[in-house]
Formats: sequence, C-alpha cells, structure tokens
Amino acid sequence: MNLRTFAIALLFFMLPGQAVGDDADIEALVAELEQVKGRLAELEQLRQRVRTLEARLEEANRSVPSESATAEGMEKRDVASTSSAPEPEPPAIDIGGALRFTTFANGSVKGQRGKSGLDLFRLSADGSIDNILLSAEYRFYPFMDTIHHGWLGYKFDDESQLQAGITRVPFGILPYASHNFWFGVPYYLGLSDDYDLGVKYVRPNGPWDLQLAFFKNSELSNSADLGRYSYDVVSAGTARNEETNQFNARVAYTFGAGTTCSHEVGVSGQWSELYNLDTEKRGDMWAAATHLDTRCGRWNFQLEAARYDHNPVNPAGIGANRIELGAFESLYDIAPTGTVGIANIAYNFPLSGDILNQLTCYNDYSVLYKDGGGDDSILNTTGCAIGIGPLFIYADLINANNMVFFGNGSLAEGGEDDWDTRLNLNVGYYW
Amino acid sequence: MNIRLTIAAALLGLLATGAAPAADSAPETRELTVVSWGGAYTRSQIRGFVRRFERESGIEVEMIDYTGGIEEIRSQVRAWNIKWDVVDLELFDAVRGCEEELLVEIDPSSLPPAPDGTAAADDFLDGSLLPCAVGNIAAATVIAFDPEAVERAPQSLEDFFDVRRFPGYRGLRRTPKTNLEWALIADGVKPERVYSVLDTEKGVDRAFRMLDRIKPAIRWWDHGEEAVRLLETGQVAMTSAYNGRVDTANGNGASYEILWDNHVRFRDAWGVPKNGENIEAALDFVRFATSTESLAQQANFISYGPLRRSSLEDLPAELLARLPTSEDNLPRGFDTDAAWWSEHIQELQVRFERWIERPFQVPRDWPSR
Repeated sequence: MNLRTFAIALLFFMLPGQAVGDDADIEALVAELEQVKGRLAELEQLRQRVRTLEARLEEANRSVPSESATAEGMEKRDVASTSSAPEPEPPAIDIGGALRFTTFANGSVKGQRGKSGLDLFRLSADGSIDNILLSAEYRFYPFMDTIHHGWLGYKFDDESQLQAGITRVPFGILPYASHNFWFGVPYYLGLSDDYDLGVKYVRPNGPWDLQLAFFKNSELSNSADLGRYSYDVVSAGTARNEETNQFNARVAYTFGAGTTCSHEVGVSGQWSELYNLDTEKRGDMWAAATHLDTRCGRWNFQLEAARYDHNPVNPAGIGANRIELGAFESLYDIAPTGTVGIANIAYNFPLSGDILNQLTCYNDYSVLYKDGGGDDSILNTTGCAIGIGPLFIYADLINANNMVFFGNGSLAEGGEDDWDTRLNLNVGYYW
Repeated sequence: MNIRLTIAAALLGLLATGAAPAADSAPETRELTVVSWGGAYTRSQIRGFVRRFERESGIEVEMIDYTGGIEEIRSQVRAWNIKWDVVDLELFDAVRGCEEELLVEIDPSSLPPAPDGTAAADDFLDGSLLPCAVGNIAAATVIAFDPEAVERAPQSLEDFFDVRRFPGYRGLRRTPKTNLEWALIADGVKPERVYSVLDTEKGVDRAFRMLDRIKPAIRWWDHGEEAVRLLETGQVAMTSAYNGRVDTANGNGASYEILWDNHVRFRDAWGVPKNGENIEAALDFVRFATSTESLAQQANFISYGPLRRSSLEDLPAELLARLPTSEDNLPRGFDTDAAWWSEHIQELQVRFERWIERPFQVPRDWPSR
C-alpha cells in the first residue's frame, strides 16, 4: 500500500460519525484546507524564487574561460546550464613542515663513535594568491632557530617573477650543487644554497633562464649573528667584515629541453662589497662559475667550476687572508681566494614495489684549491636518497680531506692532509 | 476542531495539492542533473538535444562536468544519495557500472525506434546497447599537433614516442587507458595483439618502460578541453586529444592537424545511477538523447559518430569523412577493448598513478636540506 492509498484509508477511518450532520466542522475543515492550499502555493512561489537566485549565483560563479572563448557563434543558452562537478578548492597557501632526526658515526672523534638526535623541526608556507607569490620557511634546531627563507613575489604574464625578501642567491647549479645531505664544498664557502636579503628577478624563456639579483646584505641584519642557515662572511670573529650591496647574475640555457636527455649549461657572476666594521672601509668580493647539469635518462651529471676572491680592508694586524664565515652557531676561516670544482653523478632507480617512492644513489665530489697554498679541501660523499611515503631518508658515507667540521681540517690556508669518514643518516618526515 | 479532523484536513490537503507521492508514478521531476565531459562535447549535447528536451518535457537540465570513472556514482548509489541523475560514461565504465549493479537496467524495447520503424535494438551499432547503458557516440583518441609549431610533422605513433627526432613536450590524458596501448604499439606490438600482451605482467612492464622514454616530456590533461588548450598555449609540441575537440577547435579558427595513425576508437554511453528520485525522468532523457534525431543533431556540433545507423543516414558527406569511422580513417585505428578495461582499470590505475608520482629522472627538487 503506498502513501496515497494509506492516506485515503486513514481519512475514511477518521471521518465517519463525525462528519455527518456536523456542518460547522465541515466548514472549518474546508477553511483549513483552503489555508493549507494557499500556504503551499506560497511555498511553491518561494521555491521558484530560490531556484532563480541559485541559477543567477551559479552563472556569476561560473569561471571556465575556455568555454566562453571557444563558444563563438553559439546561441545563448536559454535554460540549460553547465557547471563542474564540485571539487574542493585547493588552498592558496600550502602550510608544510618537516621533522627530522639524524644519526652519525664519526671516525675522527675518539671515544665517541656516533650521535643521534633531533635534527630540526620546521614550518613552511608556499603558495600564491592571484599573481602574488609567497614562500617562507622557519627552522627550529636544538641549538638555534632561524629563518631559512622568506619572500613575497609577483608573477608577471610572461611567467617571469620578482621576489623580494630573503631569497636563494642565484649562483651555479640550482637548486643544489649536490645530492647528499651534507652538500659539497661550495656550500661551506657561501657559494651554494646561500640566502640573502634583497630582490631577485627570475625570467624563464623557453630553454633560457635568466636570474638577476641585488642583495642589500645577508639574511640577518646583524652580521655578527651566527644563528643562520647559510654561510656568509660574518663580523663575529676578529676581522669583522660583512657582506653588503651584492649583485648576482646567472644565465642558463638548456639543450634538449622537453626530451629525456637535457643539458643545462650556465654561467654565474657575483660581486659584493665587504664592509669592515673596524676600518669602516669597503673591500669587495667576487665569484664566477660555469656549470653543466645533465639529466639523461635516469642519470644526472653535474659539473661546476668556480673561482672566487675576497679583498677585505681589515685593520692593521689582521691579514687580508682572514675571511671568516659563519652559520649554525659556528665560525671558521676560508682561503680568501680559491678555485672550486664539482663533479657529481647520480642515478634514479626504477621501482615497481609498493613501498619505495624514490631511490636515488649518488657520488658527489667537490674540491677547493687554495691560491695561498695549503692542502686542498675535498668532500666526497657516496649515498642514497630514499623516499618512503612521507619519509625521506639520506644515507651518506662522507669522506673528507682537510675539510672543516672533520677533524682538524680547514677551508683556510693550512689544515691537515688527512682523510676522515662520517656515516650520516638523516630521516625526515615531511608534510 | 478535534484532533482527528485536524489530521484528516492535513491529509486532504496533501491529496488535494498533489504533494503526496502519486499512486503509480514517482514525484514530479522539475530538474535533472546530467553529467558529461564538458567543453565542446557538452555544448554539442546542449545544442543537439538538451534544450529540445527541456522545452518538450518542461524539465530543467543542469549539466555537470566530470573526468570519468564510476567512483562518484558508486559512492552516491551506496549512500542512497543520488545527485547525478544521468551520466555520460565511457563504455568500459558502463560495463563496470552494470556489473556492480550501480546503474538502472534499460530495456532496449523502450528506446525509440528509427524513423522507418526499425527497432532500436536493430538500429544501434553492435555492442552499443548494454543491459544498463545506451551507447551514444563513437569517438577517437588521436594525436594532434600544430603544424606551424613543430619543426617536423609527426607521421606515425612512433614519432610521438621519439622525443629525440621530434623534440618537445607531449600531452597525454592522465589515465592508463590508450596510453598503455600506444606505448606497446610504438614499441612494435601489433594493435591486434595489444590486449593479449597487456594481459601479462611483462607486457604491462614493457608498456611502462616505453612510457618512461617520454615521461619527462609529458604534460598531463584530465578534461578533453585541456588537451586543446595545451596546443593553444604552445605548452606541447603534440598531444593526445579527442578528435571531435580538435575538429571543433579548427572550426573556431585553429589549424591543428590530426594524426590518425593508430587512433583508438571508443564509445560513450548514457547510464542512470540507481536509487535516484528522478529515475523515470532520467530514463526519459536517455530515450530522448539517443533518438535518431538527437544523435544526428549532436553530430552537427562535434565530429563524433552517432551509434545509430539511422542517424548516420542524414549526415552530410563532408562530416562523415571527418568521423573516426570514415572510410579513410577506420583502417588506421582500432577499437578500445571496453571489456578488458572494465576488468583491469582498477589495478592499472593504481599502478599508473604510482608510476606518475615516482620520478623517472633524478629529481631537481628534493626536500630542502
């Protein structure tokens, strides 16, 4: 029995004995019936009104440019309407972060074969609202917290963009002149993955990529502050120099773009003043590099040659060969003039299982030849980067010769010709 | 008035206004939600028959775009919360939808006959009528390119997979369907053997290895209109695309060329999800949309072949020549195996997505250190 049949049966069940001879009740019943009908008519009108308003709203919200662009000559639709299946709008700004732990075994520290612990916790924000771009990252290490980068940008119609804030210095192979967690020698000379405060213009144009930048100073306003991520000339030591008014230009051309074998070749130049806080005089620094970054099939080859020269105006008694770089709450000397070489190779393995998302193994080699004499500083790292879901692991075997942070090694003139080994494992959860 | 009379009055009111469900029919339908593929294709449907249906039935039709699959239908049907009344499905999805009992059964005898009285079952091309879906058009996935934007025009499917001799980015639909077949053919497998090769793990590996060769150069698209946009904006040198979309773009002033070599023909079909409130109206829509006249009208706005023989009779020769089923084009392509895909799409889609996410080349952007 459907609802209508049931209603009729119920009506007949209720009316007998009451309806007969009871005119007042019948009149009331009819009046009430009229009221109900009137009310329903009103509701129907309201429903139609709501539908009309919804249709207008939908029309206003519809944003499918190609539809209108290609609908030339199409008659205006009278009643049919189209819309996309509802999908959640992606957030304009992505909030991300990472929690990383590290463990290492160090061959140089007697009586202490290794350490494990928290590496960092970091938060980042990346995204765009219309043509306005935003990227920022702040890091918390067990011994310091600092900004990694933070900039606002504007994206032009030709895909070029202007970034202002703490941005990556465009120099050499980008984004990294290495594959491993510990980077290569250029990073410890402030010539790779360096971040400073200024403006940068990035202009990709087919196979060409041009980047021009001006940096007022390094990422922190206090040049003596060692609580920073990237290595800069700092005034925390005896020489008291700081980077200022730095210009960068980098141009790269990619042969075979859009193929499985592409070769990026590029040249980079950097010039900046070195202001001495004691003499209040301005020296300078320059660096130049040329690079090749080849991605052929699953192989990646990186070559870079760089030359740099620091000319500070230090106070009497402090030689010009004293260039002090600092970051991560540490300070060390580097040779004022030198030549850097990089030769990296990496292979990305094909994967068919369910667990691994990425397995890339590499050997990164980098060396500093110091003009003033002293043993070369060398880093050679063999390792693998492993992606497992949100986990990303770097497993590196680092061999270093006369390298800062390894025994008595030094990037300055001097040090010792001695190989040191470190096994480093960094496990990060990224979101 | 006592309470019995009040209830009786309310019941009378319901009966008098017709607001109660009718004894022998579903509630009156004022609006249907019809899901289709968007862009030029949906426009061809609107102009071909949707507006006429609205005028003749008094039912408003809201057209919604989607990118295929039956996941949304499954979820609506299982939740008894039907928002999509009629869906334009790829044939293999219609097969799956039938097997999973997500779609309403459609009796072929309820479909309108051809104008000469031929029964629908005889008028539709073979394989166009499923137990719960009615075929509407035959289309093809082809390779399209802008001859003015490439140094050398590709001549074959193999050229599409040869980024060394034919440099530039490639557009492909983000699905294993067609891409795996093409990869095998470009690697030397005869079209007629493609599905038997894909039946083996080694065959699937071989297809993915071939796709690896162009992976860094691939730009993915989801909606058919996006493929044309990739060409318009010069983002790709060549792209897979639906022939009708390319044809429509050319009609609007573009001058893209279609490479018919090894094009993959496929069919779409109308299906009605179960458990909806508007099933009768939805079936009316399907009957209307698959009439001889409707299918022929739609073909005037997009060069897809109607699946009724009687609809083909009235089409101009110039249009017939542009259809995948034309005398020239037919032997240069092959039909997608809808039954095979209905069995394998689920597992291959998972593997395909995983393959996309995993980098082929050494990635440039790793998590910053």
